[in-house]
Order: sequence, then C-alpha cells, then structure tokens
Amino acid sequence: MAFITENTKKEVTDIVYNFFSDECEVDIKDIHADTNIINDIDGDSLMFLELIEIFKKKYNLDIELKTIGKYSVKHPVQTIGQLIEMQLLIIEHENKLLELDQ
Amino acid sequence: MSQKKLAFVFPPFASDYPDDPFTNLNGFDDCFRKYLSRAAEFADPDLIKFVIPTRTFLEDELKTQYISYIQACSLVSWFRAKGVVPGYCSGYSMGIYAALFQAEVISFLDGLVLIRQAYKEIKKVTGPIAYGMSAIIGLNQDDLEQLIRKEKMNLKLAIQNSVCSFSISGSAEDIRKLTESAQKEGALSTRVLNVSVPYHSVFLKDTAIGFNEFVNQMQFRSPKMPIVSLIDQELLLEEHLLKNEVVRNLFTSLNWYETQLYLQELGVNRFVECGSGKGIVKNARFIEGDAVFYTANSFTSLLDTK
Repeated sequence: MAFITENTKKEVTDIVYNFFSDECEVDIKDIHADTNIINDIDGDSLMFLELIEIFKKKYNLDIELKTIGKYSVKHPVQTIGQLIEMQLLIIEHENKLLELDQ
Repeated sequence: MSQKKLAFVFPPFASDYPDDPFTNLNGFDDCFRKYLSRAAEFADPDLIKFVIPTRTFLEDELKTQYISYIQACSLVSWFRAKGVVPGYCSGYSMGIYAALFQAEVISFLDGLVLIRQAYKEIKKVTGPIAYGMSAIIGLNQDDLEQLIRKEKMNLKLAIQNSVCSFSISGSAEDIRKLTESAQKEGALSTRVLNVSVPYHSVFLKDTAIGFNEFVNQMQFRSPKMPIVSLIDQELLLEEHLLKNEVVRNLFTSLNWYETQLYLQELGVNRFVECGSGKGIVKNARFIEGDAVFYTANSFTSLLDTK
C-alpha cells in the first residue's frame, strides 16, 4: 500500500492532463477537473486502459484490470477529476481496491 | 517505391464516420468521388448519395461495407499518386477486399462483386435468426471463455485485438447477456456493435461451399506485395491461398494482436490504418514495440517521412 504525497498527486494530475491533451488533440488549458471525458473531449475506454497501463508501469503496481473494472461499476468515472481520484486510489490500494467498499 | 518497413492495414466497415477525416488530404475528395461514381453505376445507384456529415447508410451493413471499401481504395490510389506503396498489407475483417485491391490481386469492381456475394451468402445462412457482435475490453481470453461456458451462451470469440480486447459473435440475445455478465466480471468496457451478422465465427460456416464456388470462378492475380493473413499470420503470396483466405475470412476467428506482432518481426515499424477511423491503431498501442501509427489525420506527416 503506497502513501500518496502531494508530489504524487501533482505527478498523476500532470500525466492525466497531458495524456488527454495529446490523445484528444485538445489544448491542455481547455481540460479541467470537471471536463467530461467522453462528451467534452471525445475520449474513450481504450484511453482509460492505456492510462492504467502507464500508471502500472510507472508505479510498478500489482493490480488486475478486472479489479479496476469491478470498482468502476460501483464508482463510474466520467470526468477528469474523477479519473485522477480513481488513479490515486489504484496507486494507493492496488489489488485491495475493492476492500474500500466493504 | 515500395517501402519494406511500412504496412497498410485495411479496417473493417465503419460503425461511424468521424467528421471530415480526409479534409486535409489534397486531392482525396476527387479520387473518392471518382470511385464512388463507378461503384454507384456498377453496384448500387444509392451510393452516389453518400455524404459523411449525414452518416449516410450507417444502418445498412452492405452499403456501409461498400463505402468503407471505396474509401480504402481511394486512399490506396491517393497514396500511390504520392509514391507511397507499402511493403506489406493486411485486411482486418472485411478490409480483406481492399487489401486485395492494394496488392493488385483484384480490380476495384471485383472487390465490389466479392463484397456483394459474401453478403448474399451470409444472409442465406443467417436467415431470420437474430445475431450480433460485441466488443469487450478489460477481460482476457480465459476470462471470456469461462464466462461463455459458465453461462452456456451461444457465442464465440471472433477477433482478438490485444491481450484484453476482443470482439465476440453469436446470438443477439446472448451477446446482450454477455455484455451484462462481462461488466460484473470486471470488464472496463462493453459495447454491442451495430451489426446483425456473427462475422468471423463458426455460425457462418455454411457460407463456405457457396462462397468458395463463387470465389474460385473469379480471376485473382499474383499479389504485388505480401498480404498477411489475420487468421494464421501466414504470408499470402499465391492465388489459391488468397482465395482460401477470402472464403475462410467469413467464418474463422481473426487475430490482429498476433498479426501486428508478426509484421513487427518482419521489420515493419510504421503502420497505416487505411480508412476513416482509428479503431485498429487504438488497440495497436497496447502491443509492445516501437512502431509508429498513422490514421487519416496524420497521413500528411507520413508523406513527410517518405
């Protein structure tokens, strides 16, 4: 279980903003915490999957995609802010993510 | 000039058209209109009404297949005029016909004939039965096969796009059930595709005899470049292999994941998705390697690197 520092939060936020700016060809200034990933910037689930892979590699995470999928059913992600929050939880709890709901 | 490290991949027929994907391609529209006009004269007069912003024909699978093929062939001609010819090509799903055109195995009109006949054979086999397909991301092959077995669903894995991205074919009712079960199992994304045919599955096996007879009457030329099979990743260099591929393509599962890896083994480091969308390239990014991918909005940058 990792400890999330302010530095981690900033790092994750920067990666997410830059990722969607590149992938969706949107100016980073037009991306905000409440930006809807699908409706506002034409993102998709494959981008979400790619981000997970980026964070898995970067933080050497032990987490199965299925665990994230099951968590997402109960906590659907629609905005950039929600996505960042979920990525931080994934980094913090890895395969124990689902225990947060127990 | 053929570029050995460059592969063109021809996508399946579109489920949607991005807004004006080819506007930055100088001369493309003239090329497309020329092919569209020939197709309208030869195959279906309605085709001439096609306009991207109105999403024309998206509810008509056969017309949509024609349009995707016409777009792909127009791109082949557009690239040829700029001196870009790939070292390899491959046809994803119904993209096989455009791959044959790229390799100069068949003419433009013969491709339309094959599309029409394949669809006719498919409709003979499926009849009034409701079939469908879905795309599931986030579960691996074992997870999906176990789910299908456990719930006794009449479904088959049709296409593998990456380690955890698959298309599934089968009865429309079970396709709906699978999307619900897969979500509970932890799939990140499930989507029922806008098709009524269980492509690339054993449910279409009975198309084999009729379509084989038809294809064998046609003239195929030797390919000007290797076509890589999405079925077994073989290099298709002879007419009889290509004919066999066209017939098997309807009822045999495909594997884009293995095909891309094989092309990379052959030295390919640039892939062009020769259509209006980005579906293949989006999946391709999950496959290891340093390859560069081009879609409609980046074709001009490919010309710069020629």
